[in-house]
Amino acid sequence: MLSAQAIHFCIRKKPIVDQANLVIQPGEILAVLGPNGAGKSTLFKILSGEIPCSHGQVEYNGLQIGSLKPRQLAEVRAVMPQHSSVNFPFSAREVIELGLITIKAKNPRKILDEVMDLTGTTPLQNKLYQHLSGGEKQRVQLARVLVQIWDTKPFPRYLLLDEPTSSLDIAQQHAVLGILEKLKAKNIGILVILHELNLAAQYADRIALLKNGLVARVGAVNEIMEEKLLSQVFDYPVQLMKNPLNGHWIVGTSAHSFSNLSKSKQA
Amino acid sequence: MNNLTLNHTKSRVNSLLLGGMLVFLVVLGLFSLSQGVFSISFAQVVSILFPIDWVEYESRQVNVLYSIRLPRILMATLIGGGLGIAGASLQGLFRNPLVEPGLIGVSSGSALFAVIFLVLIPGIAQSFAWITLVGLPFFAFLGGLIHVLAVYFLGGRGKTDTATLILAGVAINALAGALIGLTLFYADDAALRSFTFWSLGDLGGTSWAKVPLAAGLILLPSLLLIGESKNLNALSLGEQEAFHMGVNVKQTKIKLLLLTALIVGVGVAFTGMIGFVGLVVPHLIRISFGADHRLVLPASFLLGAILLNVADLIGRTWVAPAELPIGVITALLGAPFFIALIFQLHKSRS
Repeated sequence: MLSAQAIHFCIRKKPIVDQANLVIQPGEILAVLGPNGAGKSTLFKILSGEIPCSHGQVEYNGLQIGSLKPRQLAEVRAVMPQHSSVNFPFSAREVIELGLITIKAKNPRKILDEVMDLTGTTPLQNKLYQHLSGGEKQRVQLARVLVQIWDTKPFPRYLLLDEPTSSLDIAQQHAVLGILEKLKAKNIGILVILHELNLAAQYADRIALLKNGLVARVGAVNEIMEEKLLSQVFDYPVQLMKNPLNGHWIVGTSAHSFSNLSKSKQA
Repeated sequence: MNNLTLNHTKSRVNSLLLGGMLVFLVVLGLFSLSQGVFSISFAQVVSILFPIDWVEYESRQVNVLYSIRLPRILMATLIGGGLGIAGASLQGLFRNPLVEPGLIGVSSGSALFAVIFLVLIPGIAQSFAWITLVGLPFFAFLGGLIHVLAVYFLGGRGKTDTATLILAGVAINALAGALIGLTLFYADDAALRSFTFWSLGDLGGTSWAKVPLAAGLILLPSLLLIGESKNLNALSLGEQEAFHMGVNVKQTKIKLLLLTALIVGVGVAFTGMIGFVGLVVPHLIRISFGADHRLVLPASFLLGAILLNVADLIGRTWVAPAELPIGVITALLGAPFFIALIFQLHKSRS
């Protein structure tokens, strides 16, 4: 279990993350959503260990994050940041192999083959990373973080992703989230920051809504799918409906003129 | 299976490549030993150095070879290799292919502290020459370290903002230049004289006394740098990413900064500022063989050594019996390369 208790982070006395509590169970996808500036990225950095947690506690499988060395932490969790640039002419395969840099794997080649197969990066492996398209780069980065925690260990592992779908088209977005879904069977707990409510509603097991550094609500998808709650969190009217084909939630937003109209109707 | 053979071939190609460069360096060194005002043939060089009775030679030739040419060529190999590997490491650390010890001010930092040392401890009696021998590189190392730290923090801590980085380098170069001038203003005649000798002291002044010290202070840090090549690979994705992958980023950075400042400092202390080797060499290696630091670092050492030996050879044979300073040759070779690089960057951006 990855747990955060009462974590708190301020910049110039202004709380960015305010007494947040969050739990990620192995084998589940927790989507974190919220408007820009809600503190998602800061929360993400505290959970990944990038920002030292000075107030509150972050524990990986019951171990305090501060007591883990970078190498030990890398065995328990992998992190995919929003943007990673590579300034030197590495091949895609070399970038993916970097994920194994501190990991003692029995059969690194098998890990690489399986992950490249899953992420569809096998045909890219000998190309220069710099020459790949945005979507291909994203998949290579995903492959890199996956090899790091691919090997089954006696303890659960975690994967943290910061908007992994940001530069992807519709098909690629679903491909990435489909990959995350498959990881659940490997006893991996996943925290993913998303902007797209529809994707979160379809793929997440639970959703955490963040606003002004506070965790506004955490719960199963059905508990979060309330028009009033979502409209408040995002400061914009949101309409919910069910997809007649598969029963999934569809989150709709409308252009401003229409939203004003509905607001006046409500009043 | 295909990948297995692919990877296997890759590491074999790498060792072949490094082996080939080493052989070339040795042959070049032997050839360079045979060139110069005093005539010694290639066959004589081989006969003198190795226990082979190939051709006859005179004792005067042995003297010239051992006391003048050999230490000089060993020094060129050490300094060139050191500059190559230090340049490659700094580029990796700063995540920027334009970084070079001279350009970002590490060399001038070393020079400033070397000058301060020469002025503070002027006119040391010949019997205490060892103080200069050890103190000069130590001070140069300190100066290089302070400057590389300053540039690193001014330039945004390893974020790849080239403009800030270069500007920080320019500012620090200018400041160091001014402080060198100021120090010299207060220097007495004896200090001025030792400064003049030092600043002109390209490879020509190499004596056997300097070689073992340079060997220790350049080869050992170079080996330690090669040990960091995996971490440098991780750092090329970014510091956060390297941390996520389990690299102790802080420790790695401190090691890299210390080792490169040491190598550059020793180089500056013994041969003055030699520019462009640290820029050109890692570039050529990356363009030709890829960016994996496990290859780039050792290959940069070898190519740097080769390049500086070539420059030295040109410098002492072109206008013989006079000599061109080696820094002039490397700048003549390096500056056009640097300009071409800028054009290439422009092209790839547009």
